[in-house]
Amino acid sequence: MKKALPLIFLLPIIAIAALSLGATDVSELFRYLFNPWLNPESASHQIIWQIRAPRVGAAILVGAALGIAGSLAQSSTNNPLADPAILGTSAGAALGVLLGVLTNVVTIGSIGAVVCAAIGAMAATVLTFSLARSALQLITIGIGVSAILNAVVGLTLSAVNRPDARSISFWSFGSLSLVTTKTLYVLLPVLIIGAVIAWKSAPTLDLLSLGDASVRHIGHNAQRVRFRAFAILAVLVAVTVSSVGAIAFLALAAPHIARYLCGPRNRVLVIYSGLVGAMILLIADTAARALIPPFELPIGLLTSLIGAPILIATLKKSGDVWR
Amino acid sequence: MALIKIDQVSISRGGKSVIEQFSATIEPGKITAIIGPNGSGKSTLLSAIAGDLPIGAGEITFDGRNLKEISVAEQSALRSVVLQNRNYWLSYSTRELIEMGQGPDELLRVDAVMQALDMKRFENQSVTTLSGGEAQRIEIARALIRDTPIYLLDEPLSAQDVASKARIIALLKGLRDKGKTILVIAHIDKNSLTWCDQIIDTLAQ
Repeated sequence: MKKALPLIFLLPIIAIAALSLGATDVSELFRYLFNPWLNPESASHQIIWQIRAPRVGAAILVGAALGIAGSLAQSSTNNPLADPAILGTSAGAALGVLLGVLTNVVTIGSIGAVVCAAIGAMAATVLTFSLARSALQLITIGIGVSAILNAVVGLTLSAVNRPDARSISFWSFGSLSLVTTKTLYVLLPVLIIGAVIAWKSAPTLDLLSLGDASVRHIGHNAQRVRFRAFAILAVLVAVTVSSVGAIAFLALAAPHIARYLCGPRNRVLVIYSGLVGAMILLIADTAARALIPPFELPIGLLTSLIGAPILIATLKKSGDVWR
Repeated sequence: MALIKIDQVSISRGGKSVIEQFSATIEPGKITAIIGPNGSGKSTLLSAIAGDLPIGAGEITFDGRNLKEISVAEQSALRSVVLQNRNYWLSYSTRELIEMGQGPDELLRVDAVMQALDMKRFENQSVTTLSGGEAQRIEIARALIRDTPIYLLDEPLSAQDVASKARIIALLKGLRDKGKTILVIAHIDKNSLTWCDQIIDTLAQ
């Protein structure tokens, strides 16, 4: 626990650094930051408040949502390999958004897209859930469901021929460059509600580490606990995928790093997985837009490049051995 | 006091018949061992009595009530179960894992049971670093802090050293003397089961 406390102070520092970095230099960052109504016509104000702040905010919210979703996935399947991408949830959300956009029902980043993503994410998750006959099968069947849905998304994307095809394809690889203040209005309430429900159901999630039979022996229903976790996870993933696309690796890595910092208890794990996810995505996204401006680097590759070494380091330090 | 009757029970797993028309009576207030070689269906039978596996034919009754008609919550109040082969990947402490999901009455008994099973030395140690025998005692402790008329234990002594075996046997005898019904799955060696009151051989049927 003690190891984890500095994280809370680290996040605002990274956020301020992220606001100051980018293609354009911002003069007097702190003056504009602490006086949001100062000189609204100036370039610095617009860059900070119209462009960078929403993006920094979105990175924090999406990263936190994915970190929490990852911890729910691993705790509910009792498997360290689980994440929303493996369970089919992410691919389902992507397919939902894609179908909504291609039939001109919704546009990317809108509330309608979130609804499409949520329907897709739920449907895919329920499919995996109903086909699996054990906690381990949730992983193996989930990989299968993911592969099918990702193939459908990929094939559909390559067959699309319309003016916004480029931005759809851009979204499908994951990017925060399309984020606006409106995106935050959708992300924030969903994240808060999802995080609170996840935190509330955390003690029952602890039980699942005993194995389903042992949970049943003390009178609880493991499947019910698991399904509730999956429902929260699906909504959290839906809101991230619909606003910034599928972002690789974060949901898998964040809970492992958080567990190293604060232990396996889900009450604390949910919070720290969110914090770690927020930090990694914020650093990755800042690197994506500030490393070689004005070009954008693919965010999924950066989350892997930053998250994976930390993941490996924490696993090495936690001292498991071949048995 | 609780009587368990297994009447003409058949169970198959993955299309293969594991137990066929097996009958036995587990006497109340006694320690009963079910023995048999590997693959003879002992653990399957215990899972069925614990309500974890559906049975194909026949019926299992607790004091005359069909197991199928007893709810999960009621079963939980009737019996405690010790499973074998636990693998822990999350670094909960021994105490955390024993206390997980238990009610207030059970929590009051944690210290005494840990003491009786010689678990105090590793109560705050991560369960991922425990030996097989120590990890097995977590399962046993989780069952023994619960006060139920029936205890079902799947090879509880398999990974224990001599001293621990004696401690566990003494605890089980103590429960029997309080009128509890105890069912133990064991390996075939009858001679080491002198502490049991009744032995049922799965091969004998």
